[in-house]
Amino acid sequence: MNNVKLKNNFFTENYLSILSLSFFFLFWYYLVASGIVSDRILADPITTIQTFIFKLTNTSPEGATLFQHLRTSLILALTGFSLGAVIGVPLGLLMGWYKPVDALVRPLFDVLRPIPPIAWIPISIFWFGIGMFSKSFIIFVSAFVPCVINSYTGIRLTNPTLIRVAEVYGASYRETFFRVGVPSAVPMIFTGLKLALSTAWMTLVAAELLAANEGLGYMIQMGRRLARPDIIIVGMLTIGAVGALIASGLQSFDSKLSKWRS
Amino acid sequence: MALNKVDINVQPKEEGYVPKSKKKTFSYIQVLPVVSFALALGIWWVIAELELIRLPTPAEVIMQLYVMATGTVAGQPLHFHVYMSLQRVLIAFVIALAVGIPLGTMMGWNRRIEKIFNPIFEIFRPIPPIAWVPLAILWMGIGEAPKIFIVWVGCFVPMVVNSFTGMRYADKLLMDASRTLGATRSQQFFNVALPAALPSIFAGVQNGLSLGWMCVLAAEMIAAREGAGFLILQGMYVRNEAMIVSGMLIIGLLGFLIAIFLRYMEKVITPWRKEELV
Repeated sequence: MNNVKLKNNFFTENYLSILSLSFFFLFWYYLVASGIVSDRILADPITTIQTFIFKLTNTSPEGATLFQHLRTSLILALTGFSLGAVIGVPLGLLMGWYKPVDALVRPLFDVLRPIPPIAWIPISIFWFGIGMFSKSFIIFVSAFVPCVINSYTGIRLTNPTLIRVAEVYGASYRETFFRVGVPSAVPMIFTGLKLALSTAWMTLVAAELLAANEGLGYMIQMGRRLARPDIIIVGMLTIGAVGALIASGLQSFDSKLSKWRS
Repeated sequence: MALNKVDINVQPKEEGYVPKSKKKTFSYIQVLPVVSFALALGIWWVIAELELIRLPTPAEVIMQLYVMATGTVAGQPLHFHVYMSLQRVLIAFVIALAVGIPLGTMMGWNRRIEKIFNPIFEIFRPIPPIAWVPLAILWMGIGEAPKIFIVWVGCFVPMVVNSFTGMRYADKLLMDASRTLGATRSQQFFNVALPAALPSIFAGVQNGLSLGWMCVLAAEMIAAREGAGFLILQGMYVRNEAMIVSGMLIIGLLGFLIAIFLRYMEKVITPWRKEELV
């Protein structure tokens, strides 16, 4: 009977996943290869892989290699994201801790919050043209809102007992803010950063679809104009993979941080 | 022994000590929101009058809103544009509800179903819905179908993720208790696991709808002749900045109404859920 348990390895655990994935790729391949779906609107998996390898070193047909597009997009996303985090997190913390700041900023924030970052695209193109600056601004807006909301909520949820203990030991309100409020808000701040990064990455694609001459969003848009589904799919998968990588990076950093906390 | 050395006769410095957090707040706090609105409006007006950046004055925006509400934009009245956007979101949202929640809950309920669908879902999950725009246009042209498809992707993903996690992390104690009391598998599903997962499922529905609202704007900005997203893009094309800002205000207002509606629905559907602090 023990042998049966030993056989419980990777394949017996995951045979269903392996089957379903192979079925998925075969079905995808069959759809295109049999001509049910024209290869002008869908590329089969093998062509997609070939295009991916080709795009690693080659700039045709839309003028930049995959790495150049990726670099442009990453620089933009990280610029806007860091701006949003650097301004948004402290603002949220101050709003959550100091009532006058809250009363002053919150009404304006509540008016601007329901406007999705994507709706800022036209006016930002109007103001700043289609260059780097206008896209950074849009991504800044998209990252700013979740950073503020989550750090605000995080510091508001600080255990009141801890605050009172700090007060009893004679800490000033400002000291309590730095020693008790901010540390206890860290998990929520991280949730906000994760959310901000995924929103920023999505907004970036939208901004690049509308106005760009380089970047992953531009790449898939050109793939559509040139009727090259393989380029679109390579671009989409790259966007997805990079987004997932960034998210898992933040996740592992977060779990390391929480290990250190406890 | 050490305890005896503690001086127990220390008195609080003041009589009737009130913790700082409980002290009465200054009354000026109540007027601060008004001050901040007035200040923001004033700064907006000054910037617009001095033409530091191309920005309409608040009065111009109100005029534009009036003109748009009484006249037409691109041959259609304003309420038609709003209606079109809402209709697209609603259709996609309903389809996503019908597909996403059963898929997510079944994946969370049954390990086999999870093994089959999760790997495929994981390939698509990290791709932002907006990145589907070019492929959707290539597949379905620029009619209603691609827009509904993109909004559907936006609604679908958070619904699946949340109903999956809600189901998977349903309280094991409740499950065991119901089994001990002789509940059948289907009773466990409908009477225990599903209600336990409902708050999480509803959070997914909420995220899905707000993401869907964002996606419809993106889709309408990229290829449409009507809709709320089209309004602001049209403003950009005809170089009418008052139209862009009014469009943004309309979009913000609609987003706000959707959020209020969802908060109300949450109270109706999951009344046992604890009140959130913020």
